[in-house]
Amino acid sequence: MTRGLLTTAVGSYPKPEYVLRARARVARGEVSPKEMEELEKRATAHWIRIQEELGMDILVDGEMYRGDMVAYFAENWEGFTTSGLVRSYGNRYYRKPVAVGPVGRSRPTTLEWWRYAQSLTPRPVKGMLTGPYTIVDWSFNEYYPTREAFLMEVARAVHDEAVDLAKAGAEYIQIDEPAISTRPEEMEMAARALAVVTRGLEAFTITHVCYGDFAAVFPQLAALPVDMLDLETANSNYNLLDLIRQHSFGKCLSMGVVDVHHHETESVEQVKEGIRKGLEVLSPERLYIDPDCGLKTRTEEESVAKLRVMVAAVREVKEELGIE
Amino acid sequence: MITTVVGSYPKLSPDAGAPSLRAAISRHDAGRITVEELRRVEDDVTREVIQEQIDAGIDLITDGQIRRDDGQTYFARGIKGFTINGLIRYFDTNTYYRHPIPERRLEWQGAIGVGDLEFAVAHSARPVKGVITGPYTLARLSQMGCYRDLRSLVMDLVPILNREALALQQAGAEVVQFDEPAILQHKDDFDLFAEAVEGVTRGVTARTAVYTYFRDVSGIHSRLFQLPVDIIGLDFVAGPANYDLVRDFPPDKMLGFGIVDARNTCLETVEEIASAIGRVSRVVSPDRLHVNPSCGLDFLPRKSARAKLARLVDGVRRAQEVRS
Repeated sequence: MTRGLLTTAVGSYPKPEYVLRARARVARGEVSPKEMEELEKRATAHWIRIQEELGMDILVDGEMYRGDMVAYFAENWEGFTTSGLVRSYGNRYYRKPVAVGPVGRSRPTTLEWWRYAQSLTPRPVKGMLTGPYTIVDWSFNEYYPTREAFLMEVARAVHDEAVDLAKAGAEYIQIDEPAISTRPEEMEMAARALAVVTRGLEAFTITHVCYGDFAAVFPQLAALPVDMLDLETANSNYNLLDLIRQHSFGKCLSMGVVDVHHHETESVEQVKEGIRKGLEVLSPERLYIDPDCGLKTRTEEESVAKLRVMVAAVREVKEELGIE
Repeated sequence: MITTVVGSYPKLSPDAGAPSLRAAISRHDAGRITVEELRRVEDDVTREVIQEQIDAGIDLITDGQIRRDDGQTYFARGIKGFTINGLIRYFDTNTYYRHPIPERRLEWQGAIGVGDLEFAVAHSARPVKGVITGPYTLARLSQMGCYRDLRSLVMDLVPILNREALALQQAGAEVVQFDEPAILQHKDDFDLFAEAVEGVTRGVTARTAVYTYFRDVSGIHSRLFQLPVDIIGLDFVAGPANYDLVRDFPPDKMLGFGIVDARNTCLETVEEIASAIGRVSRVVSPDRLHVNPSCGLDFLPRKSARAKLARLVDGVRRAQEVRS
């Protein structure tokens, strides 16, 4: 029997109310970092249990202890500070990391969280990192003379983090690069930085990319130095699969089958339809199934409902096609 | 040499006691203050940012576009036929705007920015620039909706935005500026773009400007320089190649010289600014320069925007001392 169609998630899950409230109070000094960590651990255990109960194959820790995917690393590394508030859109503001000196880790950043999450389950938990291009692109730079110098230094730090995770036993390491296709003219440099991260790494490597003109840069995306590409296929009505059909594609694909930007839950039938479309272009061994992107902007109920539909659809497709 | 800004200014002040637009919008959204109360806060913040520009020594100011969520929806909401859809990324920035869709054939239904411009003129001791998102860029940053091709959408926007330009001129705009960054992403469309610029500036007797940013103008520079406008704005930070291209700059036009980086907090030195002015002055005489940041300042925290403008003015003064 063929094997495949492993289920996973992109990274983040919604934080429970008690974590959100406590985060605000930590900022005001009303909750100690230790108490905060206990709450984040509780929430992590909660999400590990949900994923196990749903029957997912490769789990994530849900990033209960991270705010923004770039700011989290910047806050824990040397060489970064945070800016005053900048606007994202409408009335939404955030503090952007600012490189003010040589950036890098003084100690492992995500390792203890990965160990904790993995200690809770026999199923593999992914190591989750943010890629160097995205860290650089979403930060201000007041230190490095060029973007490239900044990028390569960040790449070395992310590499060290990845090595620590692999040594600790992480079988899967995902390096998220949502920004990587922002500027086609910088793709080559971004790919070189990602190669620094994954060089010699003994783990199955994944990169999640989530916007941009993929048609223009697909050959470069297909050549990124990772084992698997993770794409948001559901929210573009699976049109991205045409790119795989049209280009030579030697990687595995992690395929988004539920749209994370909509409240409504897809039907099992809709998701099965999507998976079948994926199977038209790739064999089940090379096809992984997940939501389009992190679920942190959905509610817990919406997230669980979407994951449940995803797992049910995979199970039915597997039965119908005799996939183990 | 005239110092100016491209348009937007950060909405949030870090100063204790400054009016907070962010809080006011949240309170308004929650139904706790009336729209009139929200407008009063917008007025207060607009006065504050006008004063900050004047205090920095800027000669030709804008209202800071405090009342614009973004450059697209501000106009689209005022044009009959547009509806507003979900968030979409604004060029290669990590900011978003809401996607306008022309659901019906677009029609003029009244002036859009006149009230805001009149307010700025009434509260500024310095001349005020009126800034319109140009027809080509507004069309490119919208969905096609009911339009069959880009050309018909652009050409329907032309008379509408031309009426807006005439209205801003009537309201006291010293310069009517059209922001057209999108043409740099689609240089093949230059003929359509040129036709749109000609149409949208028709009958405008105030000085007119076309501003581009985020890239250089290679490939279209000689045709761009021949457009029937008084001022051409170029971004020399994202597009250093512009230094070579302005060798062909015509003697009868003013150059919008975008030199401090409005997308990074790293503060240029006075010497860097002065030497950039010295460099461009070899081909465009200083009395034909409008010196400004590389693009709108809304990508920066307020403190950084203030510092950048003060530095810009210092750099211009230094350049003038060197020459005299």
